[in-house]
Amino acid sequence: MIEVDNVVKTFKGVSAVENLTLQVETGEIMGLLGSNGAGKSTTINMLLGFIEPDSGVVKVNGLNAFSQSSQTRKTIGYIPENVNLYPYLTGAENLNYFCRLAGLKYSKDELNRFLLMCGLQNDVHGKKVSNYSKGMRQKVGIAIAYAKKAKVYLLDEPASGLDPLASNELSELLKKLAGEGAAILMASHDIFRVREVCDRIGILRQGRLVKEIQGKDVSANELEKLYLKFMNNQE
Amino acid sequence: MRDIIKNEWYYLIRNRVLQIVSIGFIFILSLAVYLGEIQSDNQRKQYDVSKKQLRDSWESLDSISPHGAAHYGTYVFKPTNLLSSLDEGINSVAGNVLRVEGHVQNEIVYSESSQMQAVSKFGKLKSSLLLQYVLPLFLLFLAFNSVSSEKQSGRLKLLVLQGERPVKLIMGKVISVWLYGIILMIATVVVHFILNFSTFSTEMAGRLLFFCLSYGMYYFIVSGLTVYFSARWKNATVALTSMLGIWILWTIFLPSIVLSTVDNWHKLPSRNTFQTAMKEDRSKGIDGHNPKDERGEKLKEETLKKYGVDSLIQLPINFDGIRMQADEEYGNKVWDKHFGGLRSVLEKQKKCYQIAGTISPFIALQNTSMGFSGTDNFHHQEFLIQVEDYRRRFIKSLNDEHAFGGSKTGDWSWYAQNDFFKSIPDYEYYSQSLSTVLPNYFLDFIVLIAWTTIVGLLLFFGIKNMRIV
Repeated sequence: MIEVDNVVKTFKGVSAVENLTLQVETGEIMGLLGSNGAGKSTTINMLLGFIEPDSGVVKVNGLNAFSQSSQTRKTIGYIPENVNLYPYLTGAENLNYFCRLAGLKYSKDELNRFLLMCGLQNDVHGKKVSNYSKGMRQKVGIAIAYAKKAKVYLLDEPASGLDPLASNELSELLKKLAGEGAAILMASHDIFRVREVCDRIGILRQGRLVKEIQGKDVSANELEKLYLKFMNNQE
Repeated sequence: MRDIIKNEWYYLIRNRVLQIVSIGFIFILSLAVYLGEIQSDNQRKQYDVSKKQLRDSWESLDSISPHGAAHYGTYVFKPTNLLSSLDEGINSVAGNVLRVEGHVQNEIVYSESSQMQAVSKFGKLKSSLLLQYVLPLFLLFLAFNSVSSEKQSGRLKLLVLQGERPVKLIMGKVISVWLYGIILMIATVVVHFILNFSTFSTEMAGRLLFFCLSYGMYYFIVSGLTVYFSARWKNATVALTSMLGIWILWTIFLPSIVLSTVDNWHKLPSRNTFQTAMKEDRSKGIDGHNPKDERGEKLKEETLKKYGVDSLIQLPINFDGIRMQADEEYGNKVWDKHFGGLRSVLEKQKKCYQIAGTISPFIALQNTSMGFSGTDNFHHQEFLIQVEDYRRRFIKSLNDEHAFGGSKTGDWSWYAQNDFFKSIPDYEYYSQSLSTVLPNYFLDFIVLIAWTTIVGLLLFFGIKNMRIV
């Protein structure tokens, strides 16, 4: 579960997040829409415990994300826009390495099973990641979080640069993870993907959550209009 | 930590360019040791042949006065040192051959550089050059991007999210780069060991151990500092530039600046001044060849009194031998005074140079590397002292034979027998034991330990609050 309560964060006098409050329940996927500099990545970095909020509380599974980051990080899976793995290792070796860093030791079969569950076919598990597409690397990234038994997934522009097929596969995977009880927060520019995947959508503008909508209540076109309306609104 | 090191090594092992560079490096290092060994071996053989020839001609001396034999003299060759193929130190410039004769302490001559134009012009492929300059530079290039690339790619975030502490990640990187340097160094030492297997001794093993420890610490300092910069600076280029600057300062500028400064602080006399001063002091003593010399007269009176006779002709011995020995002993005192002064200046210079290790660990490394290889100035001076000691015993034997061998004063036509010349032992070099040598490099060793500790602490505390995003 993710809880952001009345959080403020400024960098050198410039407000990045302003009185932000949001909550993502277990089994729920929330999308954060916003232009560059809207505060999406700052919010995610605060949830990861890398940035301390100026005021307000950021909690992950009931624990303070900054002061108790060593505990909260154990339950967080983070998928950045570009999952940069070690190119000289295979997909399975990358997964194994990241798992071992987390203190988890899995057999070769178990590692392959995680990769397979995240949509990476058996024949590529033994290939070096330097030969992987962006989508494939993202699947390994999700497998890393999945193998860690993450309860919270934070995704920063995950669909950016993915081809439609890979993007669709990612959506399905996220739904599957939510179905298994994960709380997912996804920051994105991609209105259509967010509309398709998320249960709840928030629109961020200049660090403020200006609108919150249920995904099922709007069509992609309506969401786009709404987004443009808030983005163009200078108030 | 083991997983981190293993992962870093996958990169080193699976990168084709690095594979080729590493193999090339090991080959060049081995070649340098091999060439050094061949040179030492050739030198050894040449010296053995020359030594045997000289000894044969000495032992075949017959029908010559002992004093004539003192002027005939002999030559002493500086033996190749224990680990000279790893670091030849000052050997190529310090000279190898010393003429031993009566009345005079000659200077050592025939340095390798003075006889090989190519060597004096371009230097030569030396393992010390590779181990001290090239290998650390290579480690620097391996490490400068190690953390900044993780930061820039966002991988550091993923790694930290796995619960790994940044300090551990960074130490893992330092150790893997350091291990790379250690392996290349060990490869060099192994080649040396194989080439010297037949003469390998515990003394050599001890020296090798300290040699490796010194290099091990220096490589840790270079690797650690480079990784530290890589972690602290946002940009890899800045990290590389900073570390290259430090490397240039440590290895090129500071040693030269320190050397010039120390040279100014503790000035050594010029060769001409030194020799003129020696000559002047020597002229104040007994002239071994001048029976009318004033001091000689005094010695004559004392000798006559000792034997209870009135004239030299009544002496049962040859006073010429006694006078020449007294002349030698006076000359020895003069040499001790001037050479002692020289040594004391050299000692002061050495101390200053050792202290300079606090601003450049490279200086400390150079000192220990040459020291444990037995090729530094300390070992050279010890050789000169041993030779002078031998010269004194050698000349004293000849003077004593002249004085007490059966001849009478003024009898310059008296000849010693061949058996006597055979009985004079040949020069034998006694290498300095590690326990004798060790205190001389204690300060350098402490300096290296201090630098290693400082870099270790810097990594531990300086990385603690490193920004991940």
